[in-house]
Amino acid sequence: MGSAPHLRAVLALVALLAWPAAGGAQDAAGGALAGAGPESEDSVRRGAYLTAAAGCAGCHSDPKRKDQPFAGGAALRTPIGDFYAPNITPDPDYGIGGWSDAEFLAALKQGRAPDGGHYYPAFPYTSYAGMSDRDARDIKAYLATLAPLTRPNREPEISFPFNFRFLLGAWKALFFEPQPFAAEPARGTDWNRGAYLVRHLGHCGECHTARNLFGARDAARELAGTLNGPDGKKVPNITPHPENGLGAWRASDATYYLETGFLPDGDFAGGAMVEVIESSTSQLTDADRASIWVYLLSLPPAPGP
Amino acid sequence: MRHAISIVGMIFLLGLASQAQAVDEPENVIKYRQSVMKAIGGHMGGIVGVVKGEVSYVDDVVVHAQGINAMSKLLVGIFPKGTSQMESAKSRALPAIWDDFSKFEAAAKALEIESAKMVEVAASRDVGAIGAQLKNMGKACGGCHKPFRQKK
Repeated sequence: MGSAPHLRAVLALVALLAWPAAGGAQDAAGGALAGAGPESEDSVRRGAYLTAAAGCAGCHSDPKRKDQPFAGGAALRTPIGDFYAPNITPDPDYGIGGWSDAEFLAALKQGRAPDGGHYYPAFPYTSYAGMSDRDARDIKAYLATLAPLTRPNREPEISFPFNFRFLLGAWKALFFEPQPFAAEPARGTDWNRGAYLVRHLGHCGECHTARNLFGARDAARELAGTLNGPDGKKVPNITPHPENGLGAWRASDATYYLETGFLPDGDFAGGAMVEVIESSTSQLTDADRASIWVYLLSLPPAPGP
Repeated sequence: MRHAISIVGMIFLLGLASQAQAVDEPENVIKYRQSVMKAIGGHMGGIVGVVKGEVSYVDDVVVHAQGINAMSKLLVGIFPKGTSQMESAKSRALPAIWDDFSKFEAAAKALEIESAKMVEVAASRDVGAIGAQLKNMGKACGGCHKPFRQKK
């Protein structure tokens, strides 16, 4: 590997570290994490913010068990079967207590389990691969402060023949190439922050981008929506297409929506976005929400599904 | 004779009046309640515009909140059985509404409660406080729409 990718990664890291936080973030959990934000000195507070930005609770917390945060989630229904995100509390037997930093990073960024096996891309390591190592470690530092819970994991229910895990090696060889975040300094810090949040931490494309026959995202239709999203539901086009996308939206429409769930016409978010807004985007700084819009606005307007 | 005619007339009118309480066509019920929902959305949009600072009509917020509060009380009455999206393609009402109607009633009640609070907060003319209460109203919106409304 040449020096150029390393240089880009370093530039990206420098850009992120230099990012000025324009507004305070909401507390990720009551008052205990006051000061949680992208610029927090403390790994745990920084990790709390990143955990919200990465939307971990959306899969790893069961909405029916508010008393067991991050102890494992409800079913994620995909075309190949139902997946249950595991317990990521620091319990040594049921959770990830005892995992090393290297194991955590391998899981998040390469989709590899500590025993060397592969994860199904229902776990969006395909997006998290572009997360910085520092961000991944800070998320781990935050998760380590949670109450260890003994909720056992639930095996996925995957239809034949996708239930053969060894096929994942082939899938990854064909469709997954872990790449660090590809910063483009010429496009400015807002765009780069937005690209990092959308493509990687926020992993928006995992729902909003259509997939090919093999379940890999179709890069040519980035964020243009799909008819066949999780739970078999339609997922909207969030490119700036004038009729079928967000072309008529203003920046304040997007940032207010991500903060509250209110749509420009007074309607309210429905379906899966309610949870995304509640536990993820509403917890971001105003500046981060604004940068998400800067990135979305830069996408080619696609007609959608 | 005039008494007899007026008694018959009254019975006839009473008979007509009782027809209004008979079962309405599902498609008409759906159309009616979608206009109620749009009206609620219109008022919400008004408050959103004030909170975002797009318009300065903060004195209007109490009117919008009162409108939402009044309409929130209509909701449980305009979801009769047989008007879900299974019965009509025009409806986005999921059958889950009728699986446990008390959950639906609780969700409608949440909007009634939060909009009543908004009526009080609106008197302060404090856009920040109104914005905070608007978020609570949003939770009430999501509390119903997420489990009970088909995504578009």
